[in-house]
Formats: sequence, structure tokens, C-alpha cells
Amino acid sequence: MRVTFNAQNRNSTAGLEDSATRLMEFQRQVSTGKRIEKPSDDPSATLGSIGEHTETAAIDQYARATDSVASRLSVIDTVLSDLIMQIERGQVSAASARGSMKTHLQRDAAATDLEGIRDTIFSDMNTAFNGTYVFSGSASTVAPYTRVGSGPISAYAGSTSEMVVDIDQQRAVKIAFNGQLVTQGTDPQDIFVEFDNLIAAVRAGNDAGIDAGMSALERMFDRVSTSQGRVGADLRTVDEHKVRLSELRRASTKRLSALEDTNMAEAITGMAQADAAYRAALGAVNTVTRMSLMDYLR
Amino acid sequence: MSSLFSSLTAAARALDAQRFGLDATGQNIANVNTPGYTRRVIDMAAVPPESNRTAGRGVDVVAIRSARDLMIERRLQQEVPAERREAALADVLGVVEVALGKPGESIDAALDRFFDAFSNLSQSPSSSVARQEVLLQAESLADTFRDMAERIAVSQRDTDAQVVSAAQDINGLASQIARINETIARTGESAGGILSLQDEQSVLVRQLSEIVDIDVLQRADGGVDITIGNGRALVIGENGYQVQTSVVAGVNHVFSAGVDVTSELSAGKIGGLVYARDVLLPGYQTSLDSLAYEVANNVNTLHAAGVGGDGGTGRNLFTFTPAIVGSAGAAGAIAVNPLVAADGNLVAAAGPGAPVGDNSTARDIAALRQAKVIGGTATFNDAWGQLVYRVGRDSQSAQNEQHGRAEIVTQVDALRDQVSGISLDEEAVNLVKYQKAYEANARFFRAIDSTLDTLLGILR
Repeated sequence: MRVTFNAQNRNSTAGLEDSATRLMEFQRQVSTGKRIEKPSDDPSATLGSIGEHTETAAIDQYARATDSVASRLSVIDTVLSDLIMQIERGQVSAASARGSMKTHLQRDAAATDLEGIRDTIFSDMNTAFNGTYVFSGSASTVAPYTRVGSGPISAYAGSTSEMVVDIDQQRAVKIAFNGQLVTQGTDPQDIFVEFDNLIAAVRAGNDAGIDAGMSALERMFDRVSTSQGRVGADLRTVDEHKVRLSELRRASTKRLSALEDTNMAEAITGMAQADAAYRAALGAVNTVTRMSLMDYLR
Repeated sequence: MSSLFSSLTAAARALDAQRFGLDATGQNIANVNTPGYTRRVIDMAAVPPESNRTAGRGVDVVAIRSARDLMIERRLQQEVPAERREAALADVLGVVEVALGKPGESIDAALDRFFDAFSNLSQSPSSSVARQEVLLQAESLADTFRDMAERIAVSQRDTDAQVVSAAQDINGLASQIARINETIARTGESAGGILSLQDEQSVLVRQLSEIVDIDVLQRADGGVDITIGNGRALVIGENGYQVQTSVVAGVNHVFSAGVDVTSELSAGKIGGLVYARDVLLPGYQTSLDSLAYEVANNVNTLHAAGVGGDGGTGRNLFTFTPAIVGSAGAAGAIAVNPLVAADGNLVAAAGPGAPVGDNSTARDIAALRQAKVIGGTATFNDAWGQLVYRVGRDSQSAQNEQHGRAEIVTQVDALRDQVSGISLDEEAVNLVKYQKAYEANARFFRAIDSTLDTLLGILR
């Protein structure tokens, strides 16, 4: 076989280029910490990486939604607790006005107390969170109850359909309640009308009316308690879900890292090997280019 | 006397032959780095005696020839175009795949941010900030689609410009080869200069084979005839037939003698460029258009049915400017409906028939992120991932193919070098061989000269 000058040079150059390319690739992996620089480095891993980025983004968004829902449910829970307290106060005030021995002044005081309780419930039912009413159902921009001056409280103006927010692909949590279910339920009239009737009965010393009003308050108490129980259950679900999302996020990050990140041990070993190969190639070129019969004929 | 003079003539002829050997060796050493140069070999032959009373009349150089193996050169002409095709493909796709961006930083991220914005709106359907965020992210998504479409279009235009440039290179090389053919024909086969012309010709043919797949036919006079595609004449003798480029359907096609031969140019740089420009890049563009169209269509269907903050309905969030037919051009034309863009309150968050303040439509649009809406089997980001995968796989395949074929070319080049290349060791041996032979013949010459002197001295 004839070994020619050009073949020697070409082989030397090709060998050096190959070694330098391998060295540079390992160096890039080590310095950037990323195994993949462009899709052609590993098309399948790139595809997987895009999927994992989407998964991570969805998990992050669900986590933000879960946090927001948790805050909202906490507010609603607090409002429902206050409603329960107000109903209990109302029952005490109404009971205190009952009986033929009560004076006019005592009944007026109880009626005034009940008016205050009614107004507090009115205020509670109009609670808003982040600009939306929590008891207006899906008509979250509309106040569920309105009142002009000290006039009567309006009928329910919200929506009977409730509003949910997704905290996962298959899981949604209610964030805006149908206020009418709380204030009226299956009763023929809402709690504000019942309060007005109760206040009138208290002022008139009408024990039968007071009893009817107290029954209405008791039914409202049951409805609010039931709602609070559901909110409490949702809050527990949300808390558990946050933990689950956090675990999913960790798993996704781990998968993403396996797809994208450099295995440092492998890369550093590879870089050391490529460096040795490059030096060997340089040495080989040096040795080969030195040798020529021309040198021996001088 | 006459035989002594014959011996002198033979010695002079031998000196001349050995000097010729030294000359050829020097020429080989001088051209050790000249591209395309083929090793010169001289053929010597003993000059037969005039009568049976003499041993012979020395040696003569009967030929100087190039050490050339036409079969190996033909093999190179077959392998080089295939390697160059893949190299051109790898170059074009290398640019495209970089333009696609990294996972989590491209259209996939824009889609995620867009759906995040709708998810935020679903949590605060009355929030004007959330509505503005939806508009902002919708604009950003549309911009990203348009940028991506433009990048692919730019790649296509650049590739098209390279096709024109490659056609010009073909013409330039064809003209030069034709001129060499003409010179060879004029000079005649016996002239020594033909070898240098053939070396130059082989370099040009190699360069031509890098650009386009060629068929080379050796002419009797040492020139070459070259055809491209399905036997289209490019060089016949001293005539170079120029190829032309002309715009057909928005891209430059290559014509030979008025016939569109673009589809026949399957190999060489131009073959790779044409394949990338006419098949791969339009394929990517179609996928991108389809994705943009599906995103806009699916979002618009939900958005138009939903209710905006003003209580109005029936408004699309996305539009296409200019208008498109089908999905073609969707990625380059997608934009946010100017009517909605001008008033964030028109973004629909409420479901069909629901009161303002509802969030059903915002939820439904946010849920599109993970919905398998593309053919019922893939999400939007799945479709984007498939496009990126396709580009990556095509690029990787071109790189691997180019690498493999480059190995073959290197091997064939090595075979060619074994026959035609210069070995400095071999030339050093030849140098010594001819030098020693020259010295020996010079001594012989002196011996005959001395003998003649002796003979002439007797006569004096």
C-alpha cells in the first residue's frame, strides 16, 4: 500500500477534528449542564422535554389556582362562621323578647338588636374576594343583595348556578356560591324577609310570629352549617391537593432533568477521555509528520 | 569507431532519460500539495540494437503518464454528490432547528402562558388586569407564531437563493471544463501539457460533482462530456450548456435547454437544497400553519360562544390578517382580533348564556391546554413537540447520513491517493535511483570518451 503525503495530512486533520469535536461537545455539556443543545442532539428526548415543560407549566398553574382557591375558601369559611354566630345571636335576641312579661322597651331593644344582626348578615352575604362576590353564584360581579338607604333588602340578584375553578385536569372546586341556597333554601321567603317579620313580631309582642322567626333562623343555621361543612371539606381537599401537586412537580422536574441535564459523572469522564484522545491525536500527527525518507538522505 | 560513437549516443540518451526521471520526480515533489495533481510516472524502454553486433542503443523515455484510476475517479463522482446532498440538508436544517428554540422557551411556552392567563381569568373573571393579561399573552402567542413562520420562510428564501447561486456555480464550472476540453482537443493527445489539463479538469469535475449529480463520459481525446439529471447535456466537447433559473410558484427552478430539470437534480448540494426548500421546509410550515389554525379555531369557537365583560357575545379572539383559505398561511397571519384587542372587557370569560362574572368560558379555554384537540389524539403542545421532533430527526438523519457518506468519500479518496497521490518516501527513493543512474551513465560516458581518446591517440 502506498502511503501518500496527502492521505497522511487528510487522516491527521480528520483525526484531530474528530477528537476536538468530541472534546468540545463534552466541554459544552459540562459547562452548560445541559445534555441537549438542539433537537437533533436527541429528537426523542427533545419531544419528551417539551411534554414535561408543558406538564410542569400546567402543574404550576394548578398550584397557583389551588392557592387562590384556598384563600377564597378561607374567606368564605370565615364568613359562614360569622353567619352562624349572627344566627345564634338572633335566636338569643328573639328568645329574649318572647313572653307576656316583656316590656315595650325590652322588645324595642331586642328588635333593634335583630336589625343589627340582619344588617350584619346582609353585609356578610355581600362579601367580595378579589372583586367578585362569593355568594352571587356565577353572576359574581353582581351584588347578591342590595338595599337603598334603610329600606328593605332586595331579593336575591345573583345567579343560581355556582362557579368553580379547576385545580387539576379532573378536579374543580366551588368558589362562588348560590347565596339563595344559604338565605332561603326551600323556604318560601329569604332570611331578610324572615328577619323583617321577626322584628315586627318582636315589636308587636307576637309570640307566634317570634316562634316562626326563630324556626326560620334555625333552618338558616342548618343551611349555613351544611355549607360550612362542604367548604371545610373542600379546604381539606385543597390542602391535600397542594401536597399532591408539589409531589407531581418534583417528579416532573426529575423527569425533565433526566431528559435535559448533563450526567456530570459521565460528561466529565467523557471529557477526560476526549482530552486524552485529542492529545494522543496531536502526538500522532507530530510523529507522523516528522518522518520522511527525505530527512535521512541529507 | 562507429560502435564507440553509438555507445556515446546511447550514454547521452541514457543521461537524458535519467534526467527526465529526475525531472518527473521533481515535478511530483513540487506538486505534493497541488489539488488534483496525479503522480507522474515515466515509462523507459531499452532502445533495440541496429545489428546483432551491438548490445543495444541504450534507453529512451517512451511515455510520461499520470497514475490515474478512472474507476476510482468514477466512484468518487458517484459518492461525492450523495455526501454533499446530506451536508447541504444538514446545513439548512441546522439553522431551522436553532430557529425553533429550546423546549420551554418557544411556542410551547407561549401556549402555556396563554392558557395560564385564561386560568387566572377563570379565578377572577371580573378582573380587568386578568383580562389585559389574556390579551397580552394572546398577542405574544400570535407574535411567536408569526416569528416562527417568518423564520421558516426566511430559511426557505435563503435556500432558494443558494439554489440560484449553485446553478451559477454549475455554469461557471461547466464553462471552465468546456474550455479545457477545447484546449485538450487543440493541443492533441501527444502533448505533455495534456496531463496538467486533465488534472485541472479532474478538480473541476470534482467541484461540479459536489454541486450536482453528474454523469461523466471520457472522450477519446482526453476531454470529458458531462450530463446532469436525466441525461441533460451540460458539457459536450468544447460546448458548455448553461442551466438557467426561473421563478416557478414562488421559488427558483432550474432549467436546461428550456426544460425544468429541478425534480431531476436529486443529489449534490443543489439536490439537498431543492429537497429542503421544496419538501422539508414546506412540510414544517404546513405543520406550523395547522397548529396555529387549530389553536385559533378552538379558542375562537369557545370565545365566540362565551360572554364578554360587556355582556356581548359572538366575538373571535383571534383573526387572520391577511385572510386565509384553509389553514395555509395561518401561522404567518394569526393576530388578535383588533376589536377585542382595543377593549379588554370584550374578552369572554362567561359561558354561553351565563351572566357577566361567570368563568365557564375562561375555564374551558384554559382546559384546552391539556385537551387532545388535534385529531382527537394530541394536545397543541404535543403537535408542537411533533414538529420539533420531526425537524430534529431530519437534521440528525442528515448529519448521520452525511457523516457516513463522508467516511466513504474519505476511503475512496484514500484509494485514489494510493494510485495518484505523492509518496515523499517513494519520490526520495526515485530521486536517489535516477541520481545514481545518472552518475553511472555519466561514468560510462566518460569511459567511452576516454576509450575514444585512446583510439584517437593511436592515430596521432
